[in-house]
Amino acid sequence: MSHKVNRKEYWVIFVILFVLTVLEVAVAQIPGIGKTLVVSALIALAVTKAAFVALFYMHLKHETPWLRRTVAIPLATPAVYALVLIAEASWRHLR
Amino acid sequence: MSATPIAEHGHHHAGPITWPRETFFGTASVGKIGMWIFLLSDALSFAGLLLAYGILRGGASTWIHPGEPALGINFTAVLTFLLICSSVTMVLGLAAASEKKRKEAVVFLGLTALGGALFLCGQYQEYFGIVGHGLTGEGLNFGASHYATTFYIITGFHGAHVTTGVIYLTIITIQTARGKYDHDTNKIEIAGLFWHFVDLVWILVFTLVYLIPQ
Repeated sequence: MSHKVNRKEYWVIFVILFVLTVLEVAVAQIPGIGKTLVVSALIALAVTKAAFVALFYMHLKHETPWLRRTVAIPLATPAVYALVLIAEASWRHLR
Repeated sequence: MSATPIAEHGHHHAGPITWPRETFFGTASVGKIGMWIFLLSDALSFAGLLLAYGILRGGASTWIHPGEPALGINFTAVLTFLLICSSVTMVLGLAAASEKKRKEAVVFLGLTALGGALFLCGQYQEYFGIVGHGLTGEGLNFGASHYATTFYIITGFHGAHVTTGVIYLTIITIQTARGKYDHDTNKIEIAGLFWHFVDLVWILVFTLVYLIPQ
């Protein structure tokens, strides 16, 4: 930990994670929203929460850009092919 | 670059040991970079499981078969909150240790391990039922359907990580109490990376396995 400890930042992130979790549970259970929209919103919320944990609790924000890229690039690749393969499986089923 | 910390022999050194600056990774320790590489490979294991789950579920005409219970979102939301709490106690424990507040560090690290242990109790309740019937008693049987099997494999693999994390953090807490990390908090930070990763993966599992509606 080469940077200064910022407890306030930790608590702000905690509150954000709590609020986003409540929002997720609400979005998943509110009736009358289209399924594609619900799924997109839920995944966007989850990725946002995960990014907050990685950047602030795992201190990636304070690491070098290359360490951030070392982590982000290998994770972005499977996310892309997962999207393609799952969309393909869903499309074949719906056809 | 040299792998020797600058202040290795500094007995009166205050705060964490400073590593020499490296072109790409700055002052990140070798142990920290090693943990990140491990976490990436572990993340790809989870990615493989979640990808298989996504394809099976996306291509299924019926996901939950008659007689199989739905997953309890509200109970699991509480478990999610528990892991978020244990992530904040983890960073507070590391912060206290880096400020040489050993007792405070031990309390927060102990609370982090306790949070993980409570999560495991919650998972046991969900599977087997301490109070009432668990999912196994309600007809969610491993091997009976893609829904049941992917559920147990993904949450079970994550549960194995929580178990590992609780053991890991218990050891780190004991070592902290003995003063082993008074002059260098690097090992606490590395344990923290593993623990936050377990929380991060759960955030994704909670959304993909529990929250995505039928």
